[in-house]
Amino acid sequence: MGNTLPGASTNRRNFLGLVGLGAVSLASGGTLAGCSKEPGAKGAATTAEQAAGVVPTFKDSTLLPPDVKGIRPMADGYVNYPKSLVDAITEKASPSGKPITATTPWWGPAPPAANKLNEAVNADMGAVINFSIQDGNTYGDKLNTLLAARDVPELTCIPGWEINKLARFSEGVQVLFEDLTPHLAGDKVNAYPLLAGLDTKAWQDSVWGGKLMAVPFPTDAPYPSVLFYRKDVADERGIAAPTTLDELYDFGKKFTNPAKGEWAFGDIWLEVQQICGAGGSENGWIKQADGKVVHRYEIPEFKRALEFMTKLYAEKLIHPDLAGSEGGDVMTLFKGGKIFMYATGGGSWKETWRPAVQTNPKFNMQAVKVFGADKGQAPVRWQSRSAIIWTFIKKGLGQERTQELLRVLNYTAAPIGSKEWELQNYGVEGTHFKRDASGAPVTNDLFVKEFANQYVFLGGRPPVVVGGPDIPTYAKDFVTWGNDATQYLEKNPWDGIKVETPSQQAAIEQPTQDKVTDILRGRTPISEFDKIVSDWKAGGGDAARDFYAKVLADNGR
Amino acid sequence: MSADTVIRPRRNSLRPVWEEKPTLIGQFGKGAILTVVVLAVLVPLWTVAVTSLSSEKTINEAGGYVFIPREFNPSAYVVIFSGGQVTDAILVSTIVTVAGTALSLIVTVLAAYGLSRPGTLGHRGILFYFLLTFLIYPGMIPSYLVVTGLGLKDNLLSLILPTAISAFNLVVLRAFFMSIPGELYDSARIDGAGELRILTRIVLPLSKAVTAVVGLFYAVGYWNAFFNAILYIDRSDLQPVQRVLQQFILAGQSPATSGAAVAIPGLGSSVPPSLAIKMAVVVVTIVPALIIYPFIQRHFTKGVIIGAVKG
Repeated sequence: MGNTLPGASTNRRNFLGLVGLGAVSLASGGTLAGCSKEPGAKGAATTAEQAAGVVPTFKDSTLLPPDVKGIRPMADGYVNYPKSLVDAITEKASPSGKPITATTPWWGPAPPAANKLNEAVNADMGAVINFSIQDGNTYGDKLNTLLAARDVPELTCIPGWEINKLARFSEGVQVLFEDLTPHLAGDKVNAYPLLAGLDTKAWQDSVWGGKLMAVPFPTDAPYPSVLFYRKDVADERGIAAPTTLDELYDFGKKFTNPAKGEWAFGDIWLEVQQICGAGGSENGWIKQADGKVVHRYEIPEFKRALEFMTKLYAEKLIHPDLAGSEGGDVMTLFKGGKIFMYATGGGSWKETWRPAVQTNPKFNMQAVKVFGADKGQAPVRWQSRSAIIWTFIKKGLGQERTQELLRVLNYTAAPIGSKEWELQNYGVEGTHFKRDASGAPVTNDLFVKEFANQYVFLGGRPPVVVGGPDIPTYAKDFVTWGNDATQYLEKNPWDGIKVETPSQQAAIEQPTQDKVTDILRGRTPISEFDKIVSDWKAGGGDAARDFYAKVLADNGR
Repeated sequence: MSADTVIRPRRNSLRPVWEEKPTLIGQFGKGAILTVVVLAVLVPLWTVAVTSLSSEKTINEAGGYVFIPREFNPSAYVVIFSGGQVTDAILVSTIVTVAGTALSLIVTVLAAYGLSRPGTLGHRGILFYFLLTFLIYPGMIPSYLVVTGLGLKDNLLSLILPTAISAFNLVVLRAFFMSIPGELYDSARIDGAGELRILTRIVLPLSKAVTAVVGLFYAVGYWNAFFNAILYIDRSDLQPVQRVLQQFILAGQSPATSGAAVAIPGLGSSVPPSLAIKMAVVVVTIVPALIIYPFIQRHFTKGVIIGAVKG
């Protein structure tokens, strides 16, 4: 596979050169050696105006009207699988035929290199993509090394949460990756019509240093967490879903029965904060009505959430395997009826529900309609960024090759209803799936082995929520829930500005969160919280506040 | 101190305590402690094995790990062995472990022997250079540059060469070689033996225990190779077993960012492997260690003590 360096045959002289290079990198202290003059300690921001000037003009690429229309940024829902598919792209992506190297993450066993799914998509696309599929959980380590060694493949897929951890990324990005502004800004995107169908906000999020640097993967629901509960069990026991904080506590009391091995909750900390009204979508930062910039830690709503959550832990309403961080598998506990409510990302809804109905047809997992702490009080819903993953093109490949790669990304951005979309998401009919009576693909073991979302991650796609005959209400449930929740989405004053956290705040964030966890678990008394906040302020919190306030001032917000 | 204030043992006997017959309470106490220790080792292994042989339904009903076997369902093993990935990984790890251990032992024994003989050319400087690696580690990125620069990316040698020699093992072996009486070397020399013959006919036969232990240290290190594989191996058919194990165990878990769990689109369309499959992979990866260990065990205690008290 592709990634070997040129000049791989090493003689004695260049071996010594390599050793010397290693020594230089060591002396300069590791990551991104030599990428920049200045350390990235101060943070960086691309202004909204800068971003607005370089993003592609939006042109809807939807092929099929949705069954449930999502209120943006919620994705559209498709209850049924499309009956007929169209060919969205006919031209070959890569006339040169030269193999393309690409790195994508995957959370599961890596698929084999000899892969029928890859062969089929490559053939249809007219390009040969050699994937290096890396384990998502250690992807950051791998990226750090690749970027620092300047050994990136032609297409590099980087999730947003890893970018936050990559040292001096804002400087490295200009050195390692191609500026896509000349290819995609404004109407230039018309050469790649399916890329023009990606959400404008996601494109704004792809601007670094005033240049369009990557193709985004838009999020399908803007919520970092969803509160799920076992509706089938709750209905059976005649217990309604909670609508206030007190009812949430009652729900916990009613469902917890250690003698039967049952506890009400998994971790619901993210949700409790939002129920109590503690905002801060932008890394915890909020601009108050009086114009003051504060962090979530400093407002009374957060303290209320902390007190409530501490009570749940103290009264043992949370499953002990999860409360003790003893590696309990929350999905298995939920499917097995050992816990009845937990909070996690919306993506896990289908992932949990689908296998669960195989063994328990009554299993019904629903999202709790969002509610505020007290009757009549509105909750806050954090809003995640519009793009969650980006694909970067290696710098200096030349105009022609860059255009080839953009055509590949155009192909992978094909929307639902196209043959290309089905091929990338399900593989080949007869080989990777067969159709059920409704025409929806039912995948087989070969698909599970060969599929790693590899093509889908590459080029973004207009996000959709698709159900299936085994979970017929899923698409409607999800989009309806999401549409209702959009009314509570926090207005993020930093929206559209690409803010990169100052490294001092980034460094103090995890230790502070660990201290908060100690309070939750009862290892530290809650009276210590004020001290934790003052330590956090002194350790970088106040400096970060000045930075975030300045970013707003620079943008006239 | 006068003669009649001599402290006497409270017991009636004058025999030292280890020659006494153990008391009933003492025996029970020891038995209980040993039982707890043995259970602490066996219960997790048992649970892993039973879970790997359970169906999805049983696991859901148990809420996770299964302790009491209800059925014999080897389907998880069928899945992992039919996929090819686990079998490939076991083969890769076996090759790396066998070839790596052999290479490591050869270079470590040769280096330790050379450094153990007083008067070897540059012996102090070379030893100091080795010991320096205890203090200074080259770091991830320089190592990566060197390995990729040598063209070893996606090559099993990248899992062997960077860890081929451990300064710790070298020091242990050298200390042992130095403890062999000089007269043995002298007599061999009088009989006309060269250095290589002395090493292979005199020194190594006398150092079986310590060599076995050093070999075991190396073998365990190679079998557990994980991080180097993340850095240097991209091809899925060249992944060692620990990486495949990790991929199976963590499959489907969403990564968490600062306070917010991120949903990964696309994961929902592929069902993550069940707990039974994860546990089956755990069983498969620990079996080789369980098989090999008894053969080396008798050398193990002896060898570790030798290394520890002389040096």
